[in-house]
Amino acid sequence: MNLEKMMDLPGALAAFTYSDKGDLQSHVLREGTELTPQVLDLLAHSCVANQAIASMEARGWEALTGQGGFEPLKGFSMVGLEWSVVVDGNCGVVVKNRDADYEATFNALQAG
Amino acid sequence: MRIVKQLMAIPGVVAAGEYAYRGDRFSYEGALTDEFARMASILCRANTLSVNMQSEIFDSFAENIGCRPVQGWIVRGSQITICAVGNYFAFIENRDELLNDVMTIMRAKVGDVQDDLLVNLYARLGGDTKEALY
Repeated sequence: MNLEKMMDLPGALAAFTYSDKGDLQSHVLREGTELTPQVLDLLAHSCVANQAIASMEARGWEALTGQGGFEPLKGFSMVGLEWSVVVDGNCGVVVKNRDADYEATFNALQAG
Repeated sequence: MRIVKQLMAIPGVVAAGEYAYRGDRFSYEGALTDEFARMASILCRANTLSVNMQSEIFDSFAENIGCRPVQGWIVRGSQITICAVGNYFAFIENRDELLNDVMTIMRAKVGDVQDDLLVNLYARLGGDTKEALY
């Protein structure tokens, strides 16, 4: 995963990779951002948990309703007040809400 | 329901709805049954509470980093995406530019809530805002 390339996404404040357990492995922070490696590590852990929950819910939803189109999941995003974290697999990007292009970010993560 | 109608007017939006934070009321339009809409409301409410709890943890590590209050979340499926902002949700198809459009509308209409999002929305329902939310 090329984190520098991820930082070219609109509004990118940080890009990071993490292990299957959510431990931060590598990261790039935009200069001047208030985000810290410690926060990114927490974000990574929460994103692993949220992706697992979303997968469980998608599987359950498909089984209960008979509706398809959810699995396999292509990512998760938490939209905060000023920024959003967008993750897929073992990589995530924090983007400023004002400039965020969610589709481009999801697509870049999937392609990465 | 005005926001729901506005969302449903966009081609590619499969269903949209509004739910009460107390979990006892919901309304919706689109390709869901009453029972599916009830389940979707519970699912969205649970996930929203969960990400709000997580944002409080982030805040304890670094205050005022721009995370709280959480406005919502997105689950990107293979063909369908679920967007939740405040107490509204939308099931949308994965079409070009649709996700950005829907998020822009939802954030403009129900996002950017100052102070505590949960208490704010809970208060609108007329509930006891001091009541335990979790």
